[in-house]
Amino acid sequence: MAAKPSTTTTAKATYSPIDPTRKTRPPIFSGSDVDWLRPDSRGFHQCRPAFFRTGAVNSASGSAYAEFGNTKVIVSVFGPRESKKAMMYSNIGRLNCNVSYTTFATPIRGQGSDHKDFSSMLHKALEGAIILETFPKTTVDVFALVLESGGSIRFLVKQVDELDTLWFAVGDLPVVISCASVALADAGIMMYDLVASVSVSCLGKNLLIDPVLEEESYQDGSLMIACMPSRYEVTQLTVTGEWSTPHFNEAMQLCLDASAKLGKIMRSCLKEAASDEQE
Amino acid sequence: MGSTDVIASVKAELGRPSAMQPDKGKVAIFVDCSPTAEPTFEGRGGEELSAELSSALQHCLLGGKSGAGAGIDLSSLVVVEGKVCWDLYIDGLVISSDGNLLDALGAAIKAALSNTGIPSVHVAAEAASDEQPEVDISDEEFLQFDTSGVPVITTLTKVGKHYIVDATLEEESQMSSAVSISINRQGHICGMIKRGGVGLDPSVILDMISVANFVSRQLMDKLDSEIAAADADEDES
Repeated sequence: MAAKPSTTTTAKATYSPIDPTRKTRPPIFSGSDVDWLRPDSRGFHQCRPAFFRTGAVNSASGSAYAEFGNTKVIVSVFGPRESKKAMMYSNIGRLNCNVSYTTFATPIRGQGSDHKDFSSMLHKALEGAIILETFPKTTVDVFALVLESGGSIRFLVKQVDELDTLWFAVGDLPVVISCASVALADAGIMMYDLVASVSVSCLGKNLLIDPVLEEESYQDGSLMIACMPSRYEVTQLTVTGEWSTPHFNEAMQLCLDASAKLGKIMRSCLKEAASDEQE
Repeated sequence: MGSTDVIASVKAELGRPSAMQPDKGKVAIFVDCSPTAEPTFEGRGGEELSAELSSALQHCLLGGKSGAGAGIDLSSLVVVEGKVCWDLYIDGLVISSDGNLLDALGAAIKAALSNTGIPSVHVAAEAASDEQPEVDISDEEFLQFDTSGVPVITTLTKVGKHYIVDATLEEESQMSSAVSISINRQGHICGMIKRGGVGLDPSVILDMISVANFVSRQLMDKLDSEIAAADADEDES
């Protein structure tokens, strides 16, 4: 990892329909041993401004483009389509997810990460929300493409065949999950609820919501939650690092609140798109 | 555990530490599901499950990126900072699968690590700063790996409205979702993964954590006593 990506979002060139100060909760700095000034001058409990737009890909049944600061993701949904002949008959639908990075997404070209890992995580996050019984015998394909991976990256030690251990980026996953559920809604696939996803990093005693690359590299622990805001249910949950139970409770509450707000933004974007069509 | 049989082995090799973490060793965890467990695991069938188990174990046992909260203390693996360190390869093999593979693998890995002895290394005194220093590995096993910090993984499976610990294959086939929590001796959560599609209420998750706390303490005590007994047997023979 030679170059550090630029993490400034102060130029707000991206259209963000929402007021960036989404969360104005006073930060909890009980004995902060790590004094951290966030590079894009956000509060500890402030998320990056989110931008969603549907209909990015014309040839797909549904698609969405999401931009969270420097992270840009396109998701397209195809289906329900006929399942391959090789697959067994099933009276509920199937979900097939695929996440891939473009070669120019990461600061070092071609550092395409483990695609199978995120694909299965995306699958787990979404399958709880989709009503599979409505499309038996068919498959819905969700293809996510990360155009630029600027933040909310989580690292996992991964071993390659040689003896080198490379730190691969596992995420941008929260953005991918949220974008995928907007795309599914755009495609008209029946779902119980939209899936909003947020991740939180723990640095010393402080909790940072929606961490950026730099912050992630110093973190002591991280928590990623994908949940359905209206049903108040968690579909996917990944925790790394050491957490004491009260700390964990706090982090989880933070994530749930943030995903409720994110859910509202997603909904308003979909309503906008629908009302545009009607005109 | 019951009818689930797994074998875990730990191998150590000398290698270079990564540029980003010069004072820490490296650990790689890999799980293989053998066809003896299930005929569907033959060839590429078990690959998906192996990948899932490997990544779940890596999440739980190796902590955050800065290394804090890692179950395995990586800084004890370094020999010469920035140049030579131990690479630990932890391999798990599933021989018989009757549900609850993750817990069994976690326990096996903990036991394997406690049995691990890392040979002590003597480094030649003079070494140019960018050359590999000469190392001499002694044959007598020396440093016992410290496993008091290694967490134990507990999987709680939600079936209908209740959740159960240590599900058999039959019970797992009926599960709506499962949460695997790894808790260390201090009762802190070291990692948590949710499997299965159905959504879970956050209060249920918190409840699961307290149950997992209770169960893992029992499991850890049992495991430690078994390991101590096995060590004592070894010393005698």
